[in-house]
Amino acid sequence: MVNWDKLGEEQVWALAEVKVTPQRDVGFDAIAERIYRFPEARTVYLMSGTYDLAVLVVGKTMHEVAGFVSEKLAPLEGVQGTVTHFLLKRYKEDGEIMDGEEGPKRVPIMP
Amino acid sequence: MKKRDLISKRVKDIPPSGIRRFFDIIASMDGVISLGVGEPDFVTPWHIREAGIYSIEKGYTSYTSNYGLLELREEIARYLKVRHNLDYDPERELLVTVGVSEGVDLALRAILDPGDEVVIPDPSYVSYTSCTVLAGGVSVPVPTAIENDFKVKAQDIDKRINPRTKAILLGYPNNPTGAVMDREELLKVAEVAQRHSLVVISDEVYERLVYGVEHTCFASLPGMRERTILLGGFSKAYAMTGWRLGYAAATEEIIEAMMKIHQYTIMCAPTMAQMAAIKALKDGEAQVQEMVAEYNQRRRVMVKGLNDIGLTCFEPRGAFYTFPSIKSTGLSSDEFAERLLLEERVAVVPGSTFGQCGEGYVRCCYATSMAEIEEALERMGNFVKRHRTQ
Repeated sequence: MVNWDKLGEEQVWALAEVKVTPQRDVGFDAIAERIYRFPEARTVYLMSGTYDLAVLVVGKTMHEVAGFVSEKLAPLEGVQGTVTHFLLKRYKEDGEIMDGEEGPKRVPIMP
Repeated sequence: MKKRDLISKRVKDIPPSGIRRFFDIIASMDGVISLGVGEPDFVTPWHIREAGIYSIEKGYTSYTSNYGLLELREEIARYLKVRHNLDYDPERELLVTVGVSEGVDLALRAILDPGDEVVIPDPSYVSYTSCTVLAGGVSVPVPTAIENDFKVKAQDIDKRINPRTKAILLGYPNNPTGAVMDREELLKVAEVAQRHSLVVISDEVYERLVYGVEHTCFASLPGMRERTILLGGFSKAYAMTGWRLGYAAATEEIIEAMMKIHQYTIMCAPTMAQMAAIKALKDGEAQVQEMVAEYNQRRRVMVKGLNDIGLTCFEPRGAFYTFPSIKSTGLSSDEFAERLLLEERVAVVPGSTFGQCGEGYVRCCYATSMAEIEEALERMGNFVKRHRTQ
């Protein structure tokens, strides 16, 4: 578990909602694989609801993330459209509270 | 005009705490690793804290019954039944106290007449002797030793009984030694208590923190429920020290007597803490077991580490303390603790704080992170190398 915000290394994360056209026999799997092979796609889920694939994208700059979405992801055959949300702040990750507790403030010596 | 003494003789006669001066030293230093604490390093599990917060949100801000919330007493009764097969009537035989600390005080004040004697294993938790004296009693220490893993022997208790003896005060798992008593040994103590018609005050606040052994509740021994004041609490098992909550379980007659003092001095334990404690008993078991597993790992590292650097240490099976011998350094426990703090910035508690038999030992608490334990052991190793005389 890494708290990227505390690492000091600039990183830009975005959640790209991707609407795709499923294919006969393989459904969403083939297009999902085309997407998850890119190292920029850090996490990929198939979702129920108004879009199909949730892709968590990471890059060094906003420009890099935007470039990945517009030049690699959106033009893929079968991708109908994308909606990109940039991540502003992490509160909790995989069960860990990012700006967590410092632990109890104990009296250093006590019988 | 003759200057009048403002402080009572009884209070004056209680010696000042030997560890106060360490506070000032620590406050003036950076980078101190403290093995001198007496409480968990975990924060109270969130769902228990949330129950406390919720009780405040809902406006539970008034007094409860002097005995404590009935729902909490019912949960405590259920706990004692499930865990120790003990039956206590939640309406008449349980009292919710402000920590076991209050329980110790109430128990002693409820049973002692001036000059009555209380037999107490040495070393033991610091409040036992002082509360006995404050209650007008006389404390009679029973020596325990590393050769017997700091367990108290029934025959040693027996030797100190006289017509003035009113009670035996046991604290196992023990602070400061980490010693536990097994069922056979407790049965022998029970026989002494029976033969001399004594009350047994059993402080079992560390009962959940045992490693590879079963805790035997003293009140569960044959015939002992009628003469035992069982004291338990939430501080150690659920990491709830700051909530200040414990309980006493005993016969109606004794609980009624303790409640008399409690109602005039305390009224009732804090309501929000009681609400949180209900949650702890209902849903806290998984967290208790996680914490115990974590303490156990640290315990092993600490015991091995201390023995490796030449501070001989028996294997403590309870609480979260180790009690190594410092004889190889030739220092008194007070000197050891002070020099270790000044030279290596590691805080421990001198064994002599807990009684004469604690001299030659220090108490090291392993309720701290593994990284700190390892660093502390390294620093202590350097210290022992410099000071070793044998």
